Amino acid sequence: MELTVFQIAVGVRRAADAMDRLEQELNAADAKLGDGDTGSMLARVIAAMAAAEPQAAASVSDAFGRLARAGMSATGSSLGTLFASALLSLSKQTKGREIQWSDLSDLIAVARDGMMARGGAKLGDKTVLDALDAVVVAIAGRTDAGSVGATACEALDRTLVEFRDRPCRMGRAKFFAGKSVGLDDPGMLACASLAKVLASEGAGAHYLTT
Amino acid sequence: MKKLINDPARYVDESLDGLTLAFPSLVRDGAAGRVVRRAEGMTEGKVGIASGGGFGHLPLFTGYVGRGLIDTCAIGNVFEGPNIDSCIDAIRLADGGRGVLRLYGNYGGDRMNFDMAGEVLEDEGIRCTTVLGTDDIASGGPGEIGRRRGVAGLIYAYKTAGAAAEAGADLEEVTRIAAKAVAATRTIGVGLAPCRLPSAAKPSFELAEDEIEMGIGIHGEPGIWRDRLRPADAIADEMVDRLLADLPAQSGGEASVLVNGLGATPLEELFILYRRIRSRFDQAGLTIAHPLVGNYVTSMEMQGASVSLFHLDEELKALLRAPAECAFWRVD
Repeated sequence: MELTVFQIAVGVRRAADAMDRLEQELNAADAKLGDGDTGSMLARVIAAMAAAEPQAAASVSDAFGRLARAGMSATGSSLGTLFASALLSLSKQTKGREIQWSDLSDLIAVARDGMMARGGAKLGDKTVLDALDAVVVAIAGRTDAGSVGATACEALDRTLVEFRDRPCRMGRAKFFAGKSVGLDDPGMLACASLAKVLASEGAGAHYLTT
Repeated sequence: MKKLINDPARYVDESLDGLTLAFPSLVRDGAAGRVVRRAEGMTEGKVGIASGGGFGHLPLFTGYVGRGLIDTCAIGNVFEGPNIDSCIDAIRLADGGRGVLRLYGNYGGDRMNFDMAGEVLEDEGIRCTTVLGTDDIASGGPGEIGRRRGVAGLIYAYKTAGAAAEAGADLEEVTRIAAKAVAATRTIGVGLAPCRLPSAAKPSFELAEDEIEMGIGIHGEPGIWRDRLRPADAIADEMVDRLLADLPAQSGGEASVLVNGLGATPLEELFILYRRIRSRFDQAGLTIAHPLVGNYVTSMEMQGASVSLFHLDEELKALLRAPAECAFWRVD
């Protein structure tokens, strides 16, 4: 099944709407490990992405490119910059071709590797990279939006639990790794929360599954 | 925690508007006005120094744009690195034809955006070097200095590399001086109360009314220990002991000391700390030259202080004493 510009645009819109609810929740999670602004930063970044009008993009590559540029202009934070660099990678990889939902696992895998090279984190450091890695594995072979969404959400919840009692080895939390045991990494949590928004059955969900 | 603000979303830009109105030597430039540069523009034939970082630490980073210091500064949102567009503009605006040193603190977002900016500018032929501030001894052991965060001691790298650039040194020499200054600087902080980000509902961390945190970072990053508040002399003693236990190889018995307020600690308390710190360094046989006491690098309304030691040799001492002038620091 083809992944379309329209689906990307609807996803961004829904994520932007959901940040009203998620902003302070993610800030609170970040306050335990960082400086308490992950939610506000993502709310600003996703609002900027929605304002970049991905629905007007000429192609999937153009849509991802618009989102990447909007994200890069909206923040210089580590997490925001990494998210934007992943979208830039998706834009470059999808240039000049149609994209199927079954391609998504390979596309995210390349983006994940690019994020590792840019940010210096490794798998197992308890970062957003571990979340993306779990998604890459889980959605391999899935061919439609519905099953990609469902398996990604399951994998992300499982990864949160799996990493909760491990120490953070990257970002500000690496300086007090022992104290990070028992706490969710805010970037990983943001990934899981936003995936649920994208995959949920709420208003507009049919756009993602048709 | 009350704030004199209009809208969290306009915090940075309204503050920068006021800063540049109050100090006409500074002007806003670049993408979305998130670069501050010297009003007179870049001097042709001088090596440029571009810095940058998250907002919320004034006078750092923006306030050190001036003669004999840095030339441009890319400004992010509160406690967030500057975006790539601002980094690109800060480097371009600092280019006087002899290359640009990127000099900033060791933080992930800052690094990624300055690195990407450098990659974009490669084609324009602007030669760039990078030196990262890594002076916070609470954020990594002596064997992992490259992992340490940059905090208040960064101003010594600004001052000495800035003096070298002003005197006409080439890019390699300015870079060498900045790296030498970073290697000669050690800082330790202590937090008494947190700050709150303008967009956040709660303070950036929780600390009980009678607690302090030794080794705290300038974004409230947890430090070495938390315990009951104790007298200023006891706190000063521990900070001095930790700094003396982490002497750089090139320590020659003379240093500048910076007792820095984190934002909401009064100068009176900083001088109480300095009095004890000075006496302890005297006892340890360390000669203190050019002491600095005041708010040089803050974390908005965070309560607390940091102590930096900048170990001097004749070269660094001369550069530290060279004339310089910015909105918040003047050396005649």
